[in-house]
Amino acid sequence: MPPIKIYQVGHIPSPLRRIWNAFTDNPFAFAGFWAICCLILLALFGPLIAPFSAAHQDPQALLLPPSWDPAGTVEHFLGTDDLGRDIFSRLLHGAHLTFGMALAIVATALVIGFVIGSISGMMTGLKSSILSHLLDALLSIPSLLMAILVVAVTGPGLSNVFWAVGIALTPQFVRAIHQAVHEELQKEYVTAARLDGANPLQIFWYVILPNILDTMIIQTTLGISAAILDIAALGFLNLGAQAPSPEWGAMVAQGLDNLLTAPWTVTIPGVAILCCVLAINLVGDGLRSALSPIRH
Amino acid sequence: MARYLARRLNLFFATSLVLFVVMFSVTAKFPVDHTVALTGIHAPTAEEQASINEAYRLDKGQVSQFIAYLEQRLSGNLGISVTSQNPVFNELTAVLSASFELAFVAGAIALLLGIPLGVLASLSKHKITQHTIMAITLTGYSIPVFWLGLSLSLWFGVRLGWLPISGQINLLYEIKPVTGFLLIDILLWDSRYAWSAFVDALQHIVLPAVTLAVLPFTVVVRITRSAMMSIMEKTYIKAAEARGLRTYTIVMRHALPNAFIPVLKNLGLMLGAFASYAIVVEVIFSWPGVGAWLVSGIYQRDYTVIQGGILAVALIIIFLSILIEVLHTAINPLSRKELYAAH
Repeated sequence: MPPIKIYQVGHIPSPLRRIWNAFTDNPFAFAGFWAICCLILLALFGPLIAPFSAAHQDPQALLLPPSWDPAGTVEHFLGTDDLGRDIFSRLLHGAHLTFGMALAIVATALVIGFVIGSISGMMTGLKSSILSHLLDALLSIPSLLMAILVVAVTGPGLSNVFWAVGIALTPQFVRAIHQAVHEELQKEYVTAARLDGANPLQIFWYVILPNILDTMIIQTTLGISAAILDIAALGFLNLGAQAPSPEWGAMVAQGLDNLLTAPWTVTIPGVAILCCVLAINLVGDGLRSALSPIRH
Repeated sequence: MARYLARRLNLFFATSLVLFVVMFSVTAKFPVDHTVALTGIHAPTAEEQASINEAYRLDKGQVSQFIAYLEQRLSGNLGISVTSQNPVFNELTAVLSASFELAFVAGAIALLLGIPLGVLASLSKHKITQHTIMAITLTGYSIPVFWLGLSLSLWFGVRLGWLPISGQINLLYEIKPVTGFLLIDILLWDSRYAWSAFVDALQHIVLPAVTLAVLPFTVVVRITRSAMMSIMEKTYIKAAEARGLRTYTIVMRHALPNAFIPVLKNLGLMLGAFASYAIVVEVIFSWPGVGAWLVSGIYQRDYTVIQGGILAVALIIIFLSILIEVLHTAINPLSRKELYAAH
């Protein structure tokens, strides 16, 4: 026999649950969330489901239009490029280069930025200002210039993109986290904790950290979309991923020779980048508005 | 305020010094002879080698070398270009003005269109208008700039044939450089073709400027909208409404000046991304600016050009971002509170 409910029990959702509910209430953000989940799966398993390999050249099918065009075939769903390589397969192979590398770069930048930003944010006076302003010099070098500098020293290649974009992104994380910590430090609940006898480490870990998590999440989504655009731009300028690579920006650059006769070789990788960044920005926007009632 | 200005100036010098240290140590790592990386002179004669050694104090310690490097670079000696054998400084001044022109036009488009649209988006009560504007800005924010530039030039340049897609002006016109800024030079040009040259130059600038304006435009719309929405809730706006002021007056006199403050702040934060976008746009539209010059420099491994270009662009960005910060403090009394509070 089930227990009889005598009292009306009001269920109060936890803060995390409330953020999730606010986030899922926004259909666009939720769609973006699913798109990102699919992209992560594609970045991991894309090469397994791709019908052709990235370098497979079919001399019978040069510059084939996409399948919805009367001249296209279903076999090459998104058409082929000037060497007869299947664009759909190359997109799948390139997902982990463009999207996966952006995730790796942002994760690295987040860890480094978190350590430096929270140390410099907790400190006051001259030390803090030296640490934060030192990075302003790096922040003032745009990511593309940084990449040009790295390429000048080491030569082009995909691994250099990691360093170039990473060095350009890290100061942004440092600055955002530094400012967030610094702002929280002024508030009265931190003073209350200090009066209770908490040491700086406890103040940081138990008092400040939960309150700067939202800043970190938002900065991360911004960082990922910036990293994808930077990686693609470097690939396009031939400074990042080199010619046969299926990196999406490099694919646009390779299609450039056939822009007039076969515009889909440029359009389709571009649309892929656009959708990828759009999904991330949708999630970022949704998270921002879901977190904002807590922030204010 | 004077103390604040002194601190900002100090920050400018300190940041520039760090930049020079970074450039100095990177120059030593370029995969060519150190003298070539510093001066751009291939196979110098014995006298040239001696004068290079003396100018850059190559026989002294690292600190002494750095001071010599700083002296040379600050006196305008950026070496000569490895490929064209011209002084890098002269090439730099020629390309910088073209870049400034493009950036200025793009920035003007973004501000002139972005602020009114942001205000409209914040005032409109229609869900559809709001969603449309937000969707457009989010797409504009996510679009890869090189792809946008290519698509625009494919449609408006090639398919429709409305606008030229490369260069700054038709080669038929030979404009004497006076100020370096082409549009101003044409207006100063005393010729009966001046007007047609001006129209031609304007047509050339449309596509690159529109492509470059997309990023700042979307940022301006979004920031203006969110700032206006929070300001319109404030009690002083309610008070102005209660006094019976017209909406136009309320928006223009009381709300917009306050909404401009966060826009200004974000313009400063956006400078780096804007410069990156400008480089790509210049490459796509063959705009003879510093970005296209730098990228061709890296293709040819022209190390003096790379150094000079990066130094110039980074110094300009440091200067502008500090200038915007000072302006932000000057027009925003609230941020001055933090100046005097001790923490």
